[in-house]
Amino acid sequence: MLTADKKKSIKTISEQAEAGKLRRLLRFTTACWKLNLAGAMEFRFSFLLTVGTMIANNIVWIIFWGMYFERFPVLNGWTMQDVMMMWAAAAGGFGIMSIFFGNATRLANLIVTGQLDVFLSQPKPVLLNVLISRMSVSAIGDLVFAIFIFVGFGDVSLFGTLKFALALLLSTMIFIFFCVLAGCLSFWLGNTEGLSFQLFNALLTFATYPTGIFKGFGRIVLFTVIPAGFISSMPVSLIREVDLPFLYGASATAAVLCLAGILLFYRGLSRYTSGNMMGLRR
Amino acid sequence: MKTIQVEQLEKIFQVKKKQHGLSGSLKSLFKPQYADKTAVEGITFSVNQSETVAFLGPNGAGKSTTIKMLTGILHPSSGSATVLGCCPWTERSKLAYRIGSVFGQKSQLWYHLPPLDTFELMSRIYELRREDYKARRDNLIERFELGTYLHTPVRKLSLGERMRCEIAASLLHRPQALFLDEPTIGLDAVVKQRIRELIVEMNREEGTTIFLTSHDAGDIEKLCDRAIVINHGGLVFDGQVDYMKQQFLTHKTVQLVLENDPGELAAPGVSVLNQGGCRITLSVDTGITTIEAVLAALMASHRIVDMTVQDPPMEDIITRMYGTFQVKEVSL
Repeated sequence: MLTADKKKSIKTISEQAEAGKLRRLLRFTTACWKLNLAGAMEFRFSFLLTVGTMIANNIVWIIFWGMYFERFPVLNGWTMQDVMMMWAAAAGGFGIMSIFFGNATRLANLIVTGQLDVFLSQPKPVLLNVLISRMSVSAIGDLVFAIFIFVGFGDVSLFGTLKFALALLLSTMIFIFFCVLAGCLSFWLGNTEGLSFQLFNALLTFATYPTGIFKGFGRIVLFTVIPAGFISSMPVSLIREVDLPFLYGASATAAVLCLAGILLFYRGLSRYTSGNMMGLRR
Repeated sequence: MKTIQVEQLEKIFQVKKKQHGLSGSLKSLFKPQYADKTAVEGITFSVNQSETVAFLGPNGAGKSTTIKMLTGILHPSSGSATVLGCCPWTERSKLAYRIGSVFGQKSQLWYHLPPLDTFELMSRIYELRREDYKARRDNLIERFELGTYLHTPVRKLSLGERMRCEIAASLLHRPQALFLDEPTIGLDAVVKQRIRELIVEMNREEGTTIFLTSHDAGDIEKLCDRAIVINHGGLVFDGQVDYMKQQFLTHKTVQLVLENDPGELAAPGVSVLNQGGCRITLSVDTGITTIEAVLAALMASHRIVDMTVQDPPMEDIITRMYGTFQVKEVSL
C-alpha cells in the first residue's frame, strides 16, 4: 500500500506557455513527417517497389493520352501539353495530400472505429495531428511522376514554376478538405467509409479528364458538388495563361472547403463515440 | 483544489437496435430503430492530488467511458467535471499538457519504429525543453529498464516490453495526473508486478495522481489507496481499498493437488467447490477462518504437492457489493 509523500508539486518541463508556439507546431509537424518517412522506409524493397509501381501505373495513362493526341491533336481546345499538365496538377495534388496528410482519405474509418482517441489525448490540433500521422508510400510515386511531367512538358521558367506551384497548392487543398468533409459524414451518419471512398474516387477520376469535354449539368456538378473542375481546369485557366476569375474561384473554393472541413470536424468531435477496437500507429 | 472533481456526469449513447440475421438487417435498413444506452449515470466523486484511485466495475460498467470523458476524448451528455482545474472537453488541449494517459488497448507507439523515435515525437508534441527532455528520457529509460530494446521496432517487442514503453512515453512530460485504462491487460505476473512497482515509484517520488481502471485485483491491492466502483453506469462504492477488502474480499479460492485422495473434507468456513481425486478446489471464508489454519489442518494429515491461492474474480466482489450497497456513495 502506498504511503506517498503526498504534497509534491510537479515542475513542468514543457515550453508550452512560452513564446514561439508556431515554431514548435512546425517542429512537431516536421517530426511527424520524418517519422512517417522512416516508418515507410523500414521495409526498403517494398518501399521502392511501391513507389516504382505507382510511377509505372501513371505512365500507362500518359501513353494512352499520347496515342490519342497522335490521332487527334486537339480535344475541345486542349492540347497534349494541357492534358499532361492536368495530370501533373492532379497527381501532384493527390500525391502531396497522401504523402503529408495521408490520413485524409481514412478519416471516416478512423472516426467510425474509434481511432481518434490517441490524437484527442495529445495537446495538438486534432485534425492536423490526425492528417499528418500517416504517409502513403505509393503517393511518393505520384509526386515524383508529377514533377517529371512538369519538367518534361511544362514551362520551367520562374513564372511557369510559380504558376505550377500555385496549381499544386490549390489542387492539394481541394483534395485534402474535400476528403475531410466526406470523412466527417461519419460523425453523423455512422459508417460512411464506402460513401467517402466513392466521393473521393469521383473527385480523383474527374480531376484527370479535360474539363472541356463536360457540358451543362455535368459541368455544374464539377464546379460545385464535386469540385474536380477546379483541378482539371488548371492547365488552360492557370498554367497556360492566368484567368483571374478562375483563379479567384479556385482560391475561394479551396478556402471554403478548408474552413468548412475544419468547422465540420470540430463540430463532429462532440458526437465522437470512440470504440473498443485495438489500435497501433503505423 | 481537487485534482479531479466530477458532478452528476452522464453519458448516453444512441444504439441501433437490430434483429438478428439478414432479414433483421433489411428491416433495419428501411426502418431503423434506436435506443438510448446510459453508459454513465450521473456519477459524482472527487480525487485529491497524489491520490491513487482504482476505478472499478465489470465490463460495460462505464469505466472507460468515464476515463475518456475525464481526458477530453468524449463529450458528456450532461454533468460537469474538472481535471486540474480544466474542463476536459472544452479545454482539452490545455489539460493534455498536464495529464498522461495509457489505454491498454490503444497504443501511442509507432508500430514499425523503435520506441526512441516515438519518445522524440512525444517531446515535440508536449513541446519539451531539449535538455529537460533528454534528462527525463534517460531517467525513464533507466528506471523502466528499456535500454536493451530502445532501438527495436515496436512490432518486435513483447506485450510487456511494449506496455513499459507505453507508460514511459506517457510520463515523458511529467504529467500531474496519470489515467491508466487497464494497463496490465494480457501481461504475465512478473511484468505486471514490475509495472505496478514503477507506477508506485512515480506516485511516491513525483506525487503523480493515479487514476486507474483494472479487472486485476492485484493492481488494486498493490497500487491503490482508494477504490471507486461503478456498475451499470452508477456509483456503488467509494472508499478505502482496505475497507473494501475487509467488506467484500471475504473469500479466497484455494486450488490444491494432494499426494493422496483425501476423501471428504469438512471444516468451518471451508466449502469444496470442486473435487476430482487428488485435485481439490476450496473456497475459504476468511471472515471465519484463515488460509494458514486451513493449510495447517490439511498438512497435518496430507502431503501437499501443489497449491495456489487466488482472490475471487473482481466481478464476484462487485456483484456482492452491488447487492449490499443500495446507497449511491459510502464515505469513510
